[in-house]
Amino acid sequence: MSASIKISNVTKHYGALTVLDDISLAIQPGEFVVFLGPSGCGKSTLLRMIAGLEDVSAGTISVGDARVDTLPPGQRGVAMVFQSYALYPHMTVAQNMSFGLENIKMPKEEIKRRVKAAAETLEIGHLLERKPQKLSGGQRQRVAIGRAIVKEPKAFLFDEPLSNLDAALRGRTRLELAQLHARLGSTMIFVTHDQVEAMTLADRIVIMHDRRIEQIGTPMEVYQKPATRFVASFIGSPAMNFLPVTAVQNNPGGLAVTTVGIGTLQTAIHPQAGFSPRGATLGIRAEDIVVLPQGQTGTPLKAEVIERLGDRSLVYGVLEDGTKLTVEVDGRSALVIGDSLHISFDPATLHLFDESGQAHRTGGD
Amino acid sequence: MAKTYRRSQWSHGLFILPYLSAFALLLVFPLFWGIWLSLHKVDLFGPGRFVGLANYVRVFADPVFLQALRNTIVFVIVSVPSLVALGLFLALALNRTTRATSFFRGLFFSSSVLSVTIVTLIWRFVFIPGDGLMSVIFKHLGAEPIHFLSTSGWSLFSIGVATVWWCLGLPMMLFLAALQQIPADLYEAAALDNASPWRVLTRITLPSIARTIMLVTIIQIVMQFQLFGQAQLMTNGGPNGTSRPLVMYIYEVGFVRWDIGKGAAASQILFLIILCAAMAQYVVSTRKTEN
Amino acid sequence: MAANNKTYKPDALTTNPTLLWIAGVLSVVMMAPVAWLVGLSIKNNQELMLGTDSVFRLPYTAVNYLNILQTSRVFGWFFNSLVVASGQTLGVLVLSSLAGYAFARLEFPFRRTLFVIVLFGLAVPEQAVIIARHQMFNWFGLHNTYLGLMLPGLSSAFGVFLMTQFFRAIPKEIDEAALLDNASQFRIFWKIMLPLTLPAQATLGIFTFLHGWNDYWWPLISATKKDMFTLTVGIASSQTNFAQSEGLGFLASQAVFASLPVLVVYLIFQRHIVTAVSGGAVK
Repeated sequence: MSASIKISNVTKHYGALTVLDDISLAIQPGEFVVFLGPSGCGKSTLLRMIAGLEDVSAGTISVGDARVDTLPPGQRGVAMVFQSYALYPHMTVAQNMSFGLENIKMPKEEIKRRVKAAAETLEIGHLLERKPQKLSGGQRQRVAIGRAIVKEPKAFLFDEPLSNLDAALRGRTRLELAQLHARLGSTMIFVTHDQVEAMTLADRIVIMHDRRIEQIGTPMEVYQKPATRFVASFIGSPAMNFLPVTAVQNNPGGLAVTTVGIGTLQTAIHPQAGFSPRGATLGIRAEDIVVLPQGQTGTPLKAEVIERLGDRSLVYGVLEDGTKLTVEVDGRSALVIGDSLHISFDPATLHLFDESGQAHRTGGD
Repeated sequence: MAKTYRRSQWSHGLFILPYLSAFALLLVFPLFWGIWLSLHKVDLFGPGRFVGLANYVRVFADPVFLQALRNTIVFVIVSVPSLVALGLFLALALNRTTRATSFFRGLFFSSSVLSVTIVTLIWRFVFIPGDGLMSVIFKHLGAEPIHFLSTSGWSLFSIGVATVWWCLGLPMMLFLAALQQIPADLYEAAALDNASPWRVLTRITLPSIARTIMLVTIIQIVMQFQLFGQAQLMTNGGPNGTSRPLVMYIYEVGFVRWDIGKGAAASQILFLIILCAAMAQYVVSTRKTEN
Repeated sequence: MAANNKTYKPDALTTNPTLLWIAGVLSVVMMAPVAWLVGLSIKNNQELMLGTDSVFRLPYTAVNYLNILQTSRVFGWFFNSLVVASGQTLGVLVLSSLAGYAFARLEFPFRRTLFVIVLFGLAVPEQAVIIARHQMFNWFGLHNTYLGLMLPGLSSAFGVFLMTQFFRAIPKEIDEAALLDNASQFRIFWKIMLPLTLPAQATLGIFTFLHGWNDYWWPLISATKKDMFTLTVGIASSQTNFAQSEGLGFLASQAVFASLPVLVVYLIFQRHIVTAVSGGAVK
């Protein structure tokens, strides 16, 4: 029931406009993959190309062993859950779920059995005779998923399915989707612009930006080892601090980096050959900055704005030369606006990006 | 290598084939056939002989045609602004949704669903000398009744009154539709800005529906240029052709005197006039999408 | 201070009672001719011959309406109008729905070009084609037939335009979901899209029916036999000896009788008709 998906050198043009440029990607059977990126990055287009709702300008798409980009959407063996759910408004829940099975002339008893089973799984058995306008947002969402499940597809495609739900329901549904994936073991592709959804649901995240794939990796990989400056800035909240690099010096233990604002820092980074400090930036996450205890001296930072989030607080401060820096402190900190604190940096947590945005890290990986 | 699936398929064209056949057979072909006819000398009996633009020359040399053209233009110049102004006034007056306004809207639009035959009958009952409503009122006031339908000038005016009465509903509804599109917060902002009702009207309402006013005007020009039934049934073009419009001229030449080539030529001239107005409509309606 | 202690009403700026009063007066002017017509229709013809101001006096009579029941012609015309308008409505609905769906949703070669050409058809007035059409129908012997009266209405681009708009208003994901559900294009049209456009079908249907019912030009030219007259042409033809004011009351009752069906349709389906006329022109 679950199949691999292979996308090879896929390109998408609309006239002269290229929205996806030479995308290649292999998804394992049973894997939960999230396409993550800002709006307009082409993630939905790629999903719709797998479904057959958009033409493929060049390249091929395979599901299992079979090439599917030659087939009309209904014959590709994939099911899709739309952002708007796209339930047939004039049909009952049961009819909505049966429609696709009737189209392939499946015997009536089998249709009934599958609808019943799916309805039980999703706890919507009591809604089967209702029409969509009589359902709440969360119920519609379940029916849309049910409509996909009954087809027993080779892969599920989700196009931002949670974005029309309110915050509380979104969290719960996210959890249920993860459980559903664990139970069905199906291949699932999930498109979102919400990094929390991506981090919590994905086996692997595909981060897309500007027609290309920026990085493919597990949630922890993309968070801890962002491959590009874009990934580093897109993943994580608050956004990573970036400081322009003015000079570097190659030491045996790693590169010593001089930046605007905090001066020279010894890092553990061994950049790849050809690295040039021109246009390079140093990235530091707010939670990786060490706040020194009272009395110790480090780099001084003056707090301008403090966002209290409960368990932690974010301090938006300025360094002595006016460079802005965001630092995370403990939620119980009694810091007030105007206070100064002293900070230092852990060499192992620093990220270095060259002018093209490429990351350079320890061991040159 | 297998070809990749395309959403665009020839077979999808089958959906438009039935309509396209009707369109080609009943509209496109007659359109070109009409142009062909206008270049030939045709009558009921013989096949055509090519005469070039001779039919057009004959039309333009015909004083009856020139009179009809003048009548039509005068009619359009008077009736269209009346329709637009009255329609706009009613739309502004009835813009809110209450029981009373809904009733009035329904009432002012109701005449539009009547056929031209009924409309002209109603207005003949009003205008006929001696027995008409106007005559009764004039007599009651002790004034000399006017022979509306058989006096030069008054006849075209009477047709205009009947036309405005008949066609008023459409401009009103189009203006109402446009007024509802204006976001309510614009008015709320204006209220906070201390704007007087007059300034709200001239600086917010009217500019917001300027495009619709333009469109309605053009639609009405196109419609009123095709004036026929009212004139034929109320005055039969009289007296002395002073209320004969263009379409009636075409009808008389083509279907009463059966001078088909000349009738076709006259109808192409009308088509050209209406086409210009339609082009203007197209330009106005697409201009908004650009900015 | 002269205290104005009434609560301020935010709507005050947009409502104007004076305008409403003027509209009320206009509506009386608007209805006066109709009232006059109805008044004439319930008066005895002989009495009207002596002076139509008798409309304002008793007695009133239903004799004119009873006379309609005896003159079978009007019923024949009524039936003709019904057949022609219904046939046109059905035809327009089928053709426009199919074409509107395709133009709104399907991709096929030359779609844009064809749509522009069809839109261009909106700009072609009937007068430009009527002479040639009359000749064509002559060749095929279609004059004085129901088919001949119906056919020209089918070429109207308005229905296609309107249905295209309506189909475009349905969320695209609905038919995409159906496409993924392995439904054929015709099945999507028939089972999914068409049921969703039922209100639109009603709108276009009623509009087309009224249009066909009220058409005057084409039946005037095509139906030359009295038996094939539609109601509009028939009523027009019976006005010829109007000037003598013979049977003024009878004529008026005919007009009332002929306009009743459309007024009833209008009263019931007002919303649809308004949608059709405003949806077709604005947007």
